[in-house]
Amino acid sequence: MSVPQPAAPEPAPGPESGTDATAGGLTLEDRPGHSGPGRRLLATAGFAILAVTYLALVLTQPAGIAEGLGQGVALAAFAGYLAAALLLLAAVLPELPVGTLTLIPVALALNIVLGQFVGSVMVPLYLDSIGTVLVGFLAGRRAGAATGVLGTLVWALFNPTVLPFAAGAGLIGLLAGTAARLGAVRRIVLAPLAGLVAGVIGGLVAAPVAAFVFGGTSGVGTGALVSAFGAMGDSLLSAVTKQALISDPGDKAVVFLIAALLVYALPGRLTRTFAFVRRYRVLGRRRQAQD
Amino acid sequence: MHPFTVLAVAALVVTSTTALAAWPVSLSVVLVCLGVAATRGRLAAVAAASTAILVPVWCSQLMIHALFDRAGTHVLLEAGWLRLTSEGLTVAAQLGLRLAVLVVVGATVAVAVDRHRLVAAIDLAPVPPQAGYLLAATLALVPRLQRRRRAIADAQALRLLDAAPEARRAGPLRRAWRAVRLQAVPLVLSSVQDAAERAPHLAARGFPSTADRRTRLRDVPDSRLQRLVRRAAAVGAVVVPALILIGGAG
Repeated sequence: MSVPQPAAPEPAPGPESGTDATAGGLTLEDRPGHSGPGRRLLATAGFAILAVTYLALVLTQPAGIAEGLGQGVALAAFAGYLAAALLLLAAVLPELPVGTLTLIPVALALNIVLGQFVGSVMVPLYLDSIGTVLVGFLAGRRAGAATGVLGTLVWALFNPTVLPFAAGAGLIGLLAGTAARLGAVRRIVLAPLAGLVAGVIGGLVAAPVAAFVFGGTSGVGTGALVSAFGAMGDSLLSAVTKQALISDPGDKAVVFLIAALLVYALPGRLTRTFAFVRRYRVLGRRRQAQD
Repeated sequence: MHPFTVLAVAALVVTSTTALAAWPVSLSVVLVCLGVAATRGRLAAVAAASTAILVPVWCSQLMIHALFDRAGTHVLLEAGWLRLTSEGLTVAAQLGLRLAVLVVVGATVAVAVDRHRLVAAIDLAPVPPQAGYLLAATLALVPRLQRRRRAIADAQALRLLDAAPEARRAGPLRRAWRAVRLQAVPLVLSSVQDAAERAPHLAARGFPSTADRRTRLRDVPDSRLQRLVRRAAAVGAVVVPALILIGGAG
């Protein structure tokens, strides 16, 4: 039997990300580093490179992706997206407190392990960003973005084709943190809606890389969708974007829902150690099983 | 060899070969990489990893560019929606070869570079100390969490939870969520708990201190020649493809 529990008293505001080891009152609060002008400059440069690369690809839509200047477009898109991701990581990483740093490897490993497991029992979606979204929900936007980028960099040790998607993965982590901050996790039904929005944005950002670096997609099912749109007269970028807008929102809706359910399944004593969760009242009222 | 030297040379090879877009060069690079893997006794691993990545991508590129091509004029086969053209096949082959270079070079680097040395090299490099920790911790955690998930699955199977009346009555979606919940929740809970417990210990030891006076368990041998090669390869990875593309355009 389940009974509603009263909400915990609201604690004092703290830093956005990181855990607070003061649960036992024995250690100092884990504070993040300060965001200096140099780091802000790095983050701005990262976003600017991402925006310029994206806009240049979308507005010019270069033809001839496999010959002549097509090679230059592929290299420029690859380099632009990767540079943007690395700059954002360099801006965010030194700011993260120890509590978040210990959570990130867990999230990266969970991306791999849960992605394999959930993919084996449920619908055939990617589901490879559960850990990233989990960190976004628990530790905030910066931690989520860093987890997304780092996850891609680590995964690139096994599959180098994912490297240019690092910026998109970081964006998903950032959007997960933003959604949690805005209250999308307070009610479970809002989490998949936030995932849908994140999926649309992530799909739009990733589509030019898929189109101009790889000439399409990396899977047979998604490739069939792109070829179907192409046969109906769409350009390559348009076809890949439509495919991404079909696949990604559904995938991210499921990922956000699973991550939200997992956050609620964690005991309150654990979720309350995250300053971000307390400060922005990320979680709604919890129902506690009595049996 | 220093891991960064290997990575810099690999970046130079990939960017230059991509810019050249000449199939004999691309094929030679792939064959040289397979040769390097063979000399290290890892040919099967590199071939298997590359095939697992490349086959679905090649199928996708074939479908997108060759099987339903509307623009090509040299039609090889036409039936309903299917329209196979030689122009489409050429584009698919060029894209496939471009990607093959990236994947095979990446897979060869993965077997050529010792991950512990890579972590140590990152730790020694002038980058935030968090980067080395995150890479090392992730590489150590993946197999540990996989083992833990198997142990949790075995424990849940011993409790015969699949045979419980509640499980038998549930629909397919509820059964799938139940399977996820029974394995994922303990896994996430224990992992997040571990992370929360690790944090104060790391903080108590001054992590992530930027002070340079740290004792390192592992050193990575480096030399002046390697540093020179590394810098030249890193610069070449940008300059060489730019020169090739400018030359090709002119």
